[in-house]
Amino acid sequence: MSKPVTIIMIEDDEGHARLIERNIRRSGVNNEIIPFTNGTDAINYLFGKDASGQAHKGEALLILLDLNLPDMTGIDILRKVKENDFLKCAPVVVLTTTDDAQEIKRCYELGCNVYITKPVNYESFANAIRQLGLFFSVIQVPQAAS
Amino acid sequence: MLVAISASSVILVNAARRDSGMVVHTVEAENQISTLLLEIRRAESAARAYMLNAQPSFLTEHEAAVAAIVPGLDKLADLTADNSVQVENIKKLRAAIATRMAEFAKAVGFVKQNDAPSAVAMLPQTGAGAAVQAIADISRAMRAEEDRLFIQRTRTADSTQQLASIVTVTGSGLVIALAGLSIFLVQRSSRARDEAEAQLRENNLNLESTVEERTADLREANDEIQRFAYIVSHDLRSPLVNIMGFTSELEELRGDIFRRIASLANDTPVVPDVNGELPEPALPEQDKQLSADFTEALGFIKSSIGKMDRLISAILNLTREGRREFKPVKIDTRDLIENIASTVAHQAAETETTIRVEPLPDIVSDRLALEQIFSNLIDNAIKYLKPGVPGDILVKGRTKMGFAIYEIVDNGRGIDPKDHQRIFDLFRRAGTQDKPGQGIGLAHVRALVRRLGGTMSVSSELGAGSNFTVTLPARWTGTNRDKQA
Repeated sequence: MSKPVTIIMIEDDEGHARLIERNIRRSGVNNEIIPFTNGTDAINYLFGKDASGQAHKGEALLILLDLNLPDMTGIDILRKVKENDFLKCAPVVVLTTTDDAQEIKRCYELGCNVYITKPVNYESFANAIRQLGLFFSVIQVPQAAS
Repeated sequence: MLVAISASSVILVNAARRDSGMVVHTVEAENQISTLLLEIRRAESAARAYMLNAQPSFLTEHEAAVAAIVPGLDKLADLTADNSVQVENIKKLRAAIATRMAEFAKAVGFVKQNDAPSAVAMLPQTGAGAAVQAIADISRAMRAEEDRLFIQRTRTADSTQQLASIVTVTGSGLVIALAGLSIFLVQRSSRARDEAEAQLRENNLNLESTVEERTADLREANDEIQRFAYIVSHDLRSPLVNIMGFTSELEELRGDIFRRIASLANDTPVVPDVNGELPEPALPEQDKQLSADFTEALGFIKSSIGKMDRLISAILNLTREGRREFKPVKIDTRDLIENIASTVAHQAAETETTIRVEPLPDIVSDRLALEQIFSNLIDNAIKYLKPGVPGDILVKGRTKMGFAIYEIVDNGRGIDPKDHQRIFDLFRRAGTQDKPGQGIGLAHVRALVRRLGGTMSVSSELGAGSNFTVTLPARWTGTNRDKQA
């Protein structure tokens, strides 16, 4: 890993964001987490001022994405990210309450890397997040296309 | 009206014929008068000739003529019997003719006795006698009378005929008028019918479009409810994740707090055991009570969250079912039920329940929906048995007028009739609440049956078993009022 991975967390519910963060930390992942509570801010950050995505060229990003956002759906963000030449290599983890099979299928079709349903059963949720942390620590997040 | 006209025209034609008959009669009477007069003249001239030369041939002729006079007179009397004036005249004529005949007889008698001069002396008498004069007068009178009658009757006949023709013409006119009227009426009524038909067609179209509109409205409303339920359950779930998450965090905190209290009280820190688990810290009595209260409170919160989550999941599943596309396929129902029975064989064996499946009508419907319907009903039957009585579940079916009717009959605890409606409502249950459940099964089953274009009902008494009847179209084509656009 030439450069530490930055985790972009797009989650409108602060409680969820806090829980996710805690569990990630608990699993021993200490990477920087940049939280966003709405889609617009996240898009602005990801794609930069010129909306080309060039701002993060060469950076290792991992995106944690909630599908239910106040200003847009996570699906839109997912599509945009996967259509962008500079961002499409960044892994996207969809984290949402929807366990609808069609929704999941759609996310995978659009190029989502992992899909995690937020369960009310906290243990399994914590486990999933921790495993995700382990996953982060073992995978080699690819460099964004240069 | 036409009958009246026909009758009157028949009557008038008859009258005209009778009048014509009268005219002919008058002519005949006149003719008879002439004939009679002719016969009298013949008798007279034959008598004169006989008187002059006493030849027997003239006598013969005279006698023939005399013989013809009386019948002629009788015939005339017959012909004119209907006329009192003529009857009177006939009487006079008869008398005059009798006188005249007597004169002839007398004259002929003279000739026969060869008393020619006496006979000849009677000649002028015979030519201009009172009797001759009377005959002439009477016959003239009769002729005049008959002429008068002739004119009168001709006139009557004419007028009758005229009347008849007027009536006939009027009748014909009326017939034509009536025909015209009826043609007009027929045309008008057919036009009215055409208009009514057009109106009906238009109304039908309107009705169709209205129905379509309403159906679209209903469908929209239904979709909206589905979306609403979906969104609400999603949005409810989101805070629930937080509540659950932070409750778990609290639980962790509780462990930390009481461990700290324990270590403060005991002066010995709590260390992980061999498995890396932290043991429950040994606490003084009052702290133990606090810990237990804490745990109890957290337990209630967690179980309530669990329950709420299941309810929300149930709503989500229902809305998801509502959105699933149904595919009609041919299903061997008996096979399907036996499969379900084999999946619940374990529970059935535990409760000594027998499941009997009678031959069932096959059906074209959605397989998954049918499986859910029957497995829910059979599950319920096994679940709600009468305590201490081995279960007996019978599945039977029949077809009726394009519908397949299935019955699931059990000998279980039964359902109070006042709860028959309630058990189909979401989250509502009936009877003793000693079995786990959310009160979703039957609501779900009924929603499915409705979507498949069928109906379902229950008949049951408390303690006397239940009978659930599911009526489904035998050949469901995937179209019904709830079909998604």
